[in-house]
Amino acid sequence: MNEFSLWTVFTLVVGLVAILAFIAGNAMALVWMERKVAGFIQRRPGPNQLGPAGVLQSVADAVKLLFKQILKPSNADSIIFFLAPILSFFPVALLFMPLPFSPFFTAYSPNLGLLLILAFSGINVLAVLLAGWSSNNKYSLYGAARGVSQSVAYEIPLLLAVLAIAFQHGTLNLSEIVEQQGGWPWQWNVFTQPLAFLIYFISIFGETNRSPFDLPEAESELTAGFHTEYSGMGFALFFLAEYANMVLVCCVATALFLGGWKGPFLDGFWWFLAKAYGLLFIMMWVRWTYPRARFDMLLNLNWKWLLPLGALNLLATAFVMKLF
Amino acid sequence: MMEIITRLVFGLYLLVILGGAGLAVFSANLVRAFVGMVATLLGAAGLYLLMQSPFLAFMQLLIYVGAICVLIFFALMLTNAYQGGDESAPAPLSKFARSLLAGLAPLVLLLPTVLLHPVAAKEKPEATPLAELGKVLLEEYTVPFELISIILLIAMAGGVFLAWERRNR
Repeated sequence: MNEFSLWTVFTLVVGLVAILAFIAGNAMALVWMERKVAGFIQRRPGPNQLGPAGVLQSVADAVKLLFKQILKPSNADSIIFFLAPILSFFPVALLFMPLPFSPFFTAYSPNLGLLLILAFSGINVLAVLLAGWSSNNKYSLYGAARGVSQSVAYEIPLLLAVLAIAFQHGTLNLSEIVEQQGGWPWQWNVFTQPLAFLIYFISIFGETNRSPFDLPEAESELTAGFHTEYSGMGFALFFLAEYANMVLVCCVATALFLGGWKGPFLDGFWWFLAKAYGLLFIMMWVRWTYPRARFDMLLNLNWKWLLPLGALNLLATAFVMKLF
Repeated sequence: MMEIITRLVFGLYLLVILGGAGLAVFSANLVRAFVGMVATLLGAAGLYLLMQSPFLAFMQLLIYVGAICVLIFFALMLTNAYQGGDESAPAPLSKFARSLLAGLAPLVLLLPTVLLHPVAAKEKPEATPLAELGKVLLEEYTVPFELISIILLIAMAGGVFLAWERRNR
């Protein structure tokens, strides 16, 4: 850990404020992007009324959510009901701290950065559970139960894939992992660890509850799953946390597998953002292309394919690392 | 300055731990008791951070808050423990006495060891590098480390065995 000084406090505070702004800005941009991508894929214009190409649509949505009345079901547990959305959003700012956007734009670079992200992202599952239970509603409860069995399952192959990378570089510091990769695509980890990248990329769909694995909030079966009863800012916090988590997993993938802020020329945060947004675009593309998986398919894919493959990949990595 | 901040933060974590524990023990609602337990575990993670061992703190979060608590809650949900159920009635005094006894048992078991082999106190906590920690675990303490994993394996097998029995009946 760093020595305590005013400078550290200053960088932490500035970093936190910048990250919160980044999260809010990204969520708005992503909602617009998601709708536009969905529109193009389904051959319709998408939002196009507010501002040029509908860019102000998200602003209008945000204002609407801010002013909407917050309702609570009469039999809900009021403390836990309002605790859940807060619990879902509060770790998000912390999760972005160790991300190396560029050598300069890193809020905090601890040696255990990767572990910090993995540890605090588990709190989101807890929030989903509490929300589902406290709503006192069968749809919410089913959504929460699905969310948990899915998150707990997909966390394991995700950890195995991340562990293989940590093993290869001998560090859990994201900045150092980026430092050890080169600028050209064949110097990235995705080139040496393609299987780990594939496992990671499939797992993040399960972890972030994104279609085709969006069973916790499957509209056609569960209304809206665990957040059925939330309105106004309660819903907005879940929504923000969901999009922030999407950005986060893509940013971590960029740092771990795609060389982070390094590019063929002119290293900088623009490479990081471009790669992360590329991954986000693929996530949206998948969402609007594939139908929702059935729940047994989802769990079978995880326990029968991803988990053994991840374990084998880790073993192979250990073997190769010992050999060379 | 640093000293005062540390003391304040320590007090804060202590409050979180004790408050959470109180909620876990005395709450009539199972899920509120569960939230209390989560608060206690979070407070303990904070204490690890204060003692300059972020690795332990993150592991506490990853394993206890992220995995074990979630599984416990999952089991709670399956029991369909609605408000106003049987468990919301005040527990009999004998139950409190027995749980107090069970809670004190680890203290009785661990206290002699701690008193006989006190760890030298340090003025300021020092961070141990992760590589060093791994080396100590896998070189000096290999046998206890492996024994712990055997205990966990036996516990897991036992759990599966118990569940199997019930399903066949």
